[in-house]
Amino acid sequence: MGYKNIRHYVGGMADWEEKGGPVEKMDLPVVDPSPRQFVRAETSKTWIWSRWLDTLANWPLDRLVGFWLGMILAFGFVYWGAGIGMGWGLQAGNASVKPDFEGLLTSIYFSFVTALSIGYGDVIPVGALRVLAIVEGAAGLLIFGCLVSKLVSRRQEELTEEIHRTTFEDRLDRVRTNLHLVFSDLGAVLQLQAEQGVLPGQIVRRLESTVRVFRGEMQTIHDLLYRTQVLPDEEALESLLANLAICLQSVVDLQSSQLNGQQRSQPLDAGLHAISNLANEICGECVPRTYAPAMKQWMDQIQELARKIA
Amino acid sequence: MINQIAMITREEILARLNDPSLLLVNVMPEETFADGHIPRSLNLPLSQVETKARQLFADVGRELVIYCGGPT
Repeated sequence: MGYKNIRHYVGGMADWEEKGGPVEKMDLPVVDPSPRQFVRAETSKTWIWSRWLDTLANWPLDRLVGFWLGMILAFGFVYWGAGIGMGWGLQAGNASVKPDFEGLLTSIYFSFVTALSIGYGDVIPVGALRVLAIVEGAAGLLIFGCLVSKLVSRRQEELTEEIHRTTFEDRLDRVRTNLHLVFSDLGAVLQLQAEQGVLPGQIVRRLESTVRVFRGEMQTIHDLLYRTQVLPDEEALESLLANLAICLQSVVDLQSSQLNGQQRSQPLDAGLHAISNLANEICGECVPRTYAPAMKQWMDQIQELARKIA
Repeated sequence: MINQIAMITREEILARLNDPSLLLVNVMPEETFADGHIPRSLNLPLSQVETKARQLFADVGRELVIYCGGPT
């Protein structure tokens, strides 16, 4: 992988311990300083406000809705209580809201109207409650904004995921189709060769082009197995590997029959060489992820065929 | 690939145990690593070499020593 200065300690732990080297246990060194820690250190310097907003934005949807409703109800009770305890409550029309059940409902109604920043004006706050009403209005707007953005982004995330998945599946489909084309083309060339013995120049060029396509798809499958972030389901992977194996098989057949008498062109040779190299790296044990035994068999078969080409 | 890389002796590791320029890399799984390793080693399980090696050792010129459980 590009490292120049690697050396291998062949004896390994067994040799090390046997001859009494110092051994360290279970104080796992922190290898990977979590980037999250840096982020946190930075945010501690920023405003409490924005941190609070961040936390709010990270809440799940149901919690956010609950918090929003709870806040409105709590404010409603405060308006109502202020009317009872201190005498300066809400005013509806020219009369102040009474400290009974109807008054409570009116207070909650006012709270909703304020939090949604509707502000009909049929019920108005008096005195210090005006400050409270403004605070509620501001907080209501912020939380409602978070809620709406959450709803929108949720849909968007679903869509993005969907797009990723479909493009990935499309790509796999294309690989499969191309492999099939390669297979039938190789078959046709093989048959032609059996009939005519030596291939005419035109057919050789066609063969070169086929091998080029094959090489590209080989690379794709190789990447698929080695970059493990995305993985097709087993069924799709198995069909890909099976297609790959039959293609390789026909290359092997072609090679063994073509070698006598026909001179291989240079681009053809290079293409086959690349294919064989890539296929050689596909086997049950050498790919970074472990697969079901059936997959491993396919992979091993692919490697075996690759060695025959080389 | 193993065949192409140079060897290091146990004595040299022992002598340079406190030399920070020599980076020891244990390629055993995490559990085995926890059971015992050469002091100052990093753990990079074989299964993660492909995905994590670049992240851990950004400097390709660095002197690395890899080792595993026993003679391989």
